[in-house]
Amino acid sequence: MNAARPALKRVLGLRELPILVYLAIMIAVFSIAVGGFFSFKNFENISRQIATVGIVSVGMTLIILTGGIDLSVGAILSFAINIGGLGIVAGWPMWVAYPFMLLLGLVLGWLNGFLITRIAVPALIITLGTMNIYRGVIMVITRGRYITPIPKAYEAIGSGYVPFILLALVLALFIYISLRTRFGRNLFAIGGGEQSAVYSGVPVRRYKMIVYTISGLLSALAGMILVGKSGFIQPQAGLGYEMSAIAAVVIGGTSIFGGSGSVLGTFLGSVLMGLILAGLTMLAVNPYWQGLITGVLIILAIALDTVRQLRRK
Amino acid sequence: MISIENVSQSFPGVQALDQVSFTIRDGEVHGLVGENGAGKSTLIKILSGIYPDYAGTIRFDGEVRRFGAVHEAQAGGVATIFQELTVIRELSVAENIFLGREPVRAGGRLDWNAMWAKSRAVLSFLDAPLDPRAPVRTLSVANQQLVEICKALVLNSRVIIMDEPTSSLTEHEVRQLFTQIRRLKERGITILYVSHKIEEIFAICDSVTVFRDGRHIATVDRQATSPDQVISMMVGRSLSMLFPPRTSRRGELLLSVRGASRAGEFQDVSFELHEGEIIGFAGLIGAGRTELARALFGATPLTSGEVGLQGRPSGAFRHPSQALANGVAYLSEDRKREGLMLELSIRENMSLAVLRRISRYLFLRPRRERELVDSYINRFKIRLTSVDQLVESLSGGNQQKVVISKLLMTEARVFIFDEPTRGVDVGAKYEIYKIMNDLTAEGRGILFISSELPEVLGVSDRILCMREGRLVREFSREEADPEGVMRVLTGGEAA
Repeated sequence: MNAARPALKRVLGLRELPILVYLAIMIAVFSIAVGGFFSFKNFENISRQIATVGIVSVGMTLIILTGGIDLSVGAILSFAINIGGLGIVAGWPMWVAYPFMLLLGLVLGWLNGFLITRIAVPALIITLGTMNIYRGVIMVITRGRYITPIPKAYEAIGSGYVPFILLALVLALFIYISLRTRFGRNLFAIGGGEQSAVYSGVPVRRYKMIVYTISGLLSALAGMILVGKSGFIQPQAGLGYEMSAIAAVVIGGTSIFGGSGSVLGTFLGSVLMGLILAGLTMLAVNPYWQGLITGVLIILAIALDTVRQLRRK
Repeated sequence: MISIENVSQSFPGVQALDQVSFTIRDGEVHGLVGENGAGKSTLIKILSGIYPDYAGTIRFDGEVRRFGAVHEAQAGGVATIFQELTVIRELSVAENIFLGREPVRAGGRLDWNAMWAKSRAVLSFLDAPLDPRAPVRTLSVANQQLVEICKALVLNSRVIIMDEPTSSLTEHEVRQLFTQIRRLKERGITILYVSHKIEEIFAICDSVTVFRDGRHIATVDRQATSPDQVISMMVGRSLSMLFPPRTSRRGELLLSVRGASRAGEFQDVSFELHEGEIIGFAGLIGAGRTELARALFGATPLTSGEVGLQGRPSGAFRHPSQALANGVAYLSEDRKREGLMLELSIRENMSLAVLRRISRYLFLRPRRERELVDSYINRFKIRLTSVDQLVESLSGGNQQKVVISKLLMTEARVFIFDEPTRGVDVGAKYEIYKIMNDLTAEGRGILFISSELPEVLGVSDRILCMREGRLVREFSREEADPEGVMRVLTGGEAA
């Protein structure tokens, strides 16, 4: 047999292949259609834009791999920076305010995990509830007021390459964890057959708590970048992030039912969505079209994945 | 008369049916047997319109028909009762019977009275005392199956295909089903009865067709053949011995259970399992055997009772992971839900319970995993193309070997095997019995739960009979005979 054959077969079998093809097509189309699209400056710009949703999507990927979902990620993001922002107003040093925000994200994520593993109600419903609760608490406490201005030092995390570097670190860490650790392997097992996993001795409850906690923590981190980028804190921060994150996960080839998928795919999904957004903006397309295009992409991605699975059988 | 002529069907990499030809006579009960993967399901799906793209021809009374969808087959008089029933649990009996063909009055309003009346008529034909208004979810599996038969009758079906119809029925319900089948036959309905249970074929069928590896081996009248002959046609060799020879050596005490009870499931169960021993648990469905197994494995808590391991009191396990850590492994009767992750690879399934052992700290070591998985694949001769293949794509027997491998890797001392040969073909069954013998030869103990009496008697050293949640009698291997045990299980004889 030809030596190149198995390699080719491996590439064709990659679950990230469809998304890579989309990406290549999109880059080609926009580069031809839009002057200045294929430029370093533009890509740098896009990288900054996708960092926040990208980081949230990584946490969402882990959750969806276990067969769960978290609708409260945007609310957690907002809670972490708005309530944590009170510390900024109170004049806390940055090295206290930042860890405090992360801690808030971690606690809210843990709370989601706790409720999901203790109450026999689907994660979709629980996190729909907590999303409203978290957002409600923010409005009660901030009374809808923005926190502005914030000290210049807080902007560092949102400028230059910092957001992208943070995203890259988060990606590298979780790609490794998902593929090479016991914890990562068990996430796939839980999503692939929860009862079978329990019967194989997997501590399903504990691992579920951990993924929701990680997701909360990552949401808070994304919030911190958002604060740095915008220079102020608003109660509506992170609105709709849960949907963008779920879209990135699904477009990236992860099964919405859990058990199969990849963190890398999700990253490519966020890049694709970021590229389209930037390209359309540069083409001066009415932003209302963007939702429509994301929707089409989601359906295309799922259709392709279904075809692939049928072929495999 | 249905004549199947040179029918072939292939899927990527598999020739599921290869030039199959045989004839089903009008008004007969025609048995179709074969091991898993022999092509029975493929033929059913062709006849019921699910696979329209087959090669060859099928004639109904001389006329060539090719069904493109299930409803076309139904319109053509062929109804199929699949193993996985297709009733809708939340709807009533009548609504299920008329699903998609509801009688309506002017203006499209449902004609409930007609629906109930016609349902009663068809139910009374089958002598089935069911209320047409009862929700199907309140019925037993056997009665749900009856609803499917009624559905076929209101369609005026001439041919009814039954795919493994007894797989979740009790002995009593099986007898009732056979009565229904005879009634259908009297009405001139042709039945294709697909099963791998030889006794049933010989109890109900007029003729038998045997498939092996996608090919038609023979079609014979029941009177002209014997179970042994059919089995040897199925497996392609004569299985003079269905069970491997067994020499038992009883060693030290492994597991002791005293007064184990769980409210509503089983009461006051006591027994001891020694090294090298296979204890068979015989019982009818609902006797509490699986419930006992789950509780011993820590999946559900015991209400009361004591459990000891290797002579020391250990207390009941609170979680399966605790049981595994203490050397007790459980093979569930529900392979798909509690044994496998179907959409994960063979490798990932096998190593799941021993990830700790193939890791350094938190990190997996892929090489060690591969070595371990490969060694079990060789040991059990699991047929596969790649360890990264999805478990879903394996046959039932090979899937079961994957689950067993997973459990063996844990190096447990006590194995609870709950229906380990369910949905597994004859050849793979024999291999599973051999694995059980090998395990006990290494000094491990096995609790063996099975609803197939011959295998409980053929494999176990001792047989414990459970009835209505209680241990009612123990038989030694020598004193156990099928009739005697069955009398105890059905309550025909006091303990």
